[in-house]
Amino acid sequence: MELLEIKNLNKSYGNKEVLKDINLKISNGKIVGLLGKNGVGKTTLIKLINDLLTPTSGEIFVEGKTIGVESKKVIAYLPERTYLNKQMKVSEVINYFEDFYDNFNSEKAKKLLKDLNLDINENLSKMSKGMQEKVQLVLVMSRNADLYILDEPLGGVDPATRDYILDTILNNFNENASVIISTHLIADIEKILDEVIFIDKGKIILHSDSDELRTKENGSIDEIFRRKFKC
Amino acid sequence: MLGKLLKYDLKYMLKNMSIFYILAIFFAIATRVFFSLEQTVIINIIGQITCGCMFSMVASIIFNTIIRSWIRFKDSIYKDESYLTHTLPVTKVEIYGSRFLQSLIFMIVGFIVGVVSLFIAYYTKDRWILIKDTINSISVGLNLNTSFIVTSIILLCFLEVFNILQSGFLGLIIGNKRNNGKTAYSFLFGFIGYVLSQTFVILFLFFVGLFNSNVMSIFTSTALMDNNTINLLTVLSILIYILIIIEMAIRCSKELKKGVNVE
Repeated sequence: MELLEIKNLNKSYGNKEVLKDINLKISNGKIVGLLGKNGVGKTTLIKLINDLLTPTSGEIFVEGKTIGVESKKVIAYLPERTYLNKQMKVSEVINYFEDFYDNFNSEKAKKLLKDLNLDINENLSKMSKGMQEKVQLVLVMSRNADLYILDEPLGGVDPATRDYILDTILNNFNENASVIISTHLIADIEKILDEVIFIDKGKIILHSDSDELRTKENGSIDEIFRRKFKC
Repeated sequence: MLGKLLKYDLKYMLKNMSIFYILAIFFAIATRVFFSLEQTVIINIIGQITCGCMFSMVASIIFNTIIRSWIRFKDSIYKDESYLTHTLPVTKVEIYGSRFLQSLIFMIVGFIVGVVSLFIAYYTKDRWILIKDTINSISVGLNLNTSFIVTSIILLCFLEVFNILQSGFLGLIIGNKRNNGKTAYSFLFGFIGYVLSQTFVILFLFFVGLFNSNVMSIFTSTALMDNNTINLLTVLSILIYILIIIEMAIRCSKELKKGVNVE
């Protein structure tokens, strides 16, 4: 059974087709890069997997089950925006995650926050956007999930923090879990990718093993991406 | 999971509403203090000001309960916070159920704080007797039970306000199904939902009137009704309001269950 399986998925807004006939299978233990230019449907696909959008047609299965309560128990999702209630303190958010997610490890979260010099007694409203994003990353990576979906985790952060984020991701998921990372900063993440998915104009135009692709196309993922998506 | 959702919804509302409760009680106490002092022009003016502040706080409690329930609903189901709400391992029905119960609880709390504030500000034995006598004279005139009159009036006011609140939820759910102009459509559908619920109350009474000439008299004449008809109309109105609110809650749950399209 595949960890994630998508069959004939379409999403339209009125007459505008955003995703067209998406078919995809992702198995356990993979780090998958969902790559594409801005506005090609990466976030839409991720939002559909997370029940934030309703498909126009098609089906999504996580561990053989349709999207719902059971799939949400095993997916840890980091969106591209800050989603926490700003009136809460970091410690309250930790309690919140502990209340709702059985697989959330609060001790791990506290340790990661300490590593990042983030005060758990601080109010989220007093934190910068960057700090809030770090808190969110810590919360997501402190879950023992089967599938981590990270939407633009490197967007808008400095190179040093990018390295820290990548290390945090790599060091905090179990080997049976898979990670889907959506980004257009390919050079920063290509060294960690097992598989890549190129998406363009709402369609998956390539889904391949990273090493096989590098050998076949004789170049780095970043170079291949630039060639394929040359304006 | 409904209990956990409700716990956080209640915490959120309490954080935002407690200041209004405190101020209403504070101005109620101040009103009582200033009106119990020996009256001078300045004491009387201050008393009138605190009295005005208390009434505006009581009105604010009802107004803010409605508005903040709508804002909470929109923010947590369709805005940034929805990215967390919809990825929690809970059903859409539980999400709606929590918002419904939270708004119901805070409407009740708001009404209680309002009544307590008025009681603190104005209670004297003489006034209490005056109110009781007034209600008694109405009940004798209409040949109705006193507690029935008081309970019915309070219940109908509460149901009317709660109906407005639920119409807003329905408007938000239907309006946010649109690809464009979500806010405008939310207002529009909320307003339509409210007008339809009021129309339904009248149509229901008209339907009952087809089988009961006394009830039909409210549509055909301006004559005063007898106590049995008032009794029946009151009970029917309460019943139909409750049914409408239940129907709206079911409709909201069903619509939310079909899925969302968050921004």
